[in-house]
Amino acid sequence: MLVTWKYRERNTIIQKLDPRARFIFMLCMLFSIIQFWDLRVMLLFLAISLGQFVVAKITFRETRRVWLLVGGFITFLTMLAFVTGRGGTGVYTEEHVLFYLPSFTLPVLGRKITFPITAERIMFGLSQMTRMLAISGFAIIIPYTVDPRLYGVTFRGLGLPDKFAYATDLAFRFVPTLGRDFSITLDAQKARGYELERFEGGIIGQIRKLAPLIVPVTIGAIVAGEEIADAMDLRAFGVAPRTWLHQLTYQRRDKILIAISVGVFLLSTVLSILGWGKFWIPGWLLRMAKG
Amino acid sequence: MQKKLLNWVVLFAVLIALMLIVNVASGGQLQGIMWAVFVAIGAVLILILYLATAENKAWEVGTRQVVYMALGAALYGVFCWVFNTIPMPSVSQVALRPAVVIPIFFGYIFGPVVGFFTGAAGNILGDFLSGWGVYPAWDMGNGLMGLVPGLVLLFADKKRSLNTLTVVTIALLVIFAVLVFVNPRVVGPWTGEIEDFSFWAWAAIIAGGLVILGRFLLERVHPDVATAEVWGALGVIVGIGFASIADIWINGYSLMTAIIGEFMPAAVPNILNMAILLPILLVAYFAVARRTGR
Repeated sequence: MLVTWKYRERNTIIQKLDPRARFIFMLCMLFSIIQFWDLRVMLLFLAISLGQFVVAKITFRETRRVWLLVGGFITFLTMLAFVTGRGGTGVYTEEHVLFYLPSFTLPVLGRKITFPITAERIMFGLSQMTRMLAISGFAIIIPYTVDPRLYGVTFRGLGLPDKFAYATDLAFRFVPTLGRDFSITLDAQKARGYELERFEGGIIGQIRKLAPLIVPVTIGAIVAGEEIADAMDLRAFGVAPRTWLHQLTYQRRDKILIAISVGVFLLSTVLSILGWGKFWIPGWLLRMAKG
Repeated sequence: MQKKLLNWVVLFAVLIALMLIVNVASGGQLQGIMWAVFVAIGAVLILILYLATAENKAWEVGTRQVVYMALGAALYGVFCWVFNTIPMPSVSQVALRPAVVIPIFFGYIFGPVVGFFTGAAGNILGDFLSGWGVYPAWDMGNGLMGLVPGLVLLFADKKRSLNTLTVVTIALLVIFAVLVFVNPRVVGPWTGEIEDFSFWAWAAIIAGGLVILGRFLLERVHPDVATAEVWGALGVIVGIGFASIADIWINGYSLMTAIIGEFMPAAVPNILNMAILLPILLVAYFAVARRTGR
């Protein structure tokens, strides 16, 4: 029933680490990154983030689709902030114009649009892009390197009660399964002549046309859910504190990783409070603007 | 009861943790504390409701509920993502958002806790997968959208108070429609410019008509489906209403922008989508349930 994420056993040091330590590391890194806007600091975090993929022996080919999706989204957001200049509100207050892109007038509204390219917008765009890439790297690697069978016991180990640890585990693992089911249903309906792109009729008819996609996937999932619930009941789920098939024990290397993660987070917080790592613009870029 | 109360505390903690993680993972868009205030208000409202009816079996979380919470959240998240990714046409200004039927369906069939988790966690998941970041008040609103239909389980007889509920739901839709007719031109929440929203008054009337039609036509054939239509519509009004009103403080909208510019274009398509897809889904579910003897 359950389809796994793109996990594969690779026998690397990253996979030997306790998943709880991995999650703590990820969270500490994420909460450290968001305290900075300095591109140089961002590049350091990006190097750590991408370095994990090298250590975990994950090739670009394996993660290409995810990176393309994430990259497209990050580029879109960065360009939007760059063009409108709104993304940096609160990060910088004044702008130094380097040059103007050719202005044009909107055909209907008659409004003249000008695009000033400023040192702040360029640096904010680069920082934002690096920041989001680094954050994405820390998150993307998890499903590729954490055994899906360990999600439940990991969430339990991080402090969630049994029921919610199991619910979160199941929800996480259901996503790729349901994504696959939807894709199969869509293909099956298309083979029967269903055209998602072609909508005819009024509002009611058009909404009704979506039922052949929604109903089979939902009902199929519920029927499978009943089987899972029965299997859990047969194993006396929820009657007493449960045991887990796979036990997790912190090794020395896990404790070292947790110590480093917490250390990085505390250091980042202290540096941030002291005013380090704020938005940075190289002197030469500002001189260009003034010159 | 204390154990059940602890369940709610853990549930809210899980949701807030999810919101914070998604917020960080999407670049940290949350600002200020108003989002947290409205998450707390939503949580307090639910806890009051729970404490008032704590002894009722509707609030139980057993094995089935655990599985369906997970399944519902994943299903809602995947549908939100898929229908956000596939270019879906909109009819006039009505967006085709078929996914909204999921939290309502799960709430109505499996209870308020499952409905709430499906709506809230599923919305967080869907927005994250679509790359839209996190909107805590809307996550709570989606949770309420699933919770309200689940409240039907508080009544031993589902048909009881259905007439009152129908009147309340339709009265609310009529009040909103009249508000738009009286004041159709308000500042749009997305554009910041004055826009004409009179279309939504007519759309609300059609949606209300559809709910009444569903309630009275289906009552003869399948009373459960008729009841679900009314509870579902109320769920949409309460859930989207909560999120829209929260935006007055979170985004600084005026009351009119929140109600006319935001609530109507979000709630009315949801009611239309729900009113058409929910009966189909319920009939399919009841057929399977009958066949498998559940």
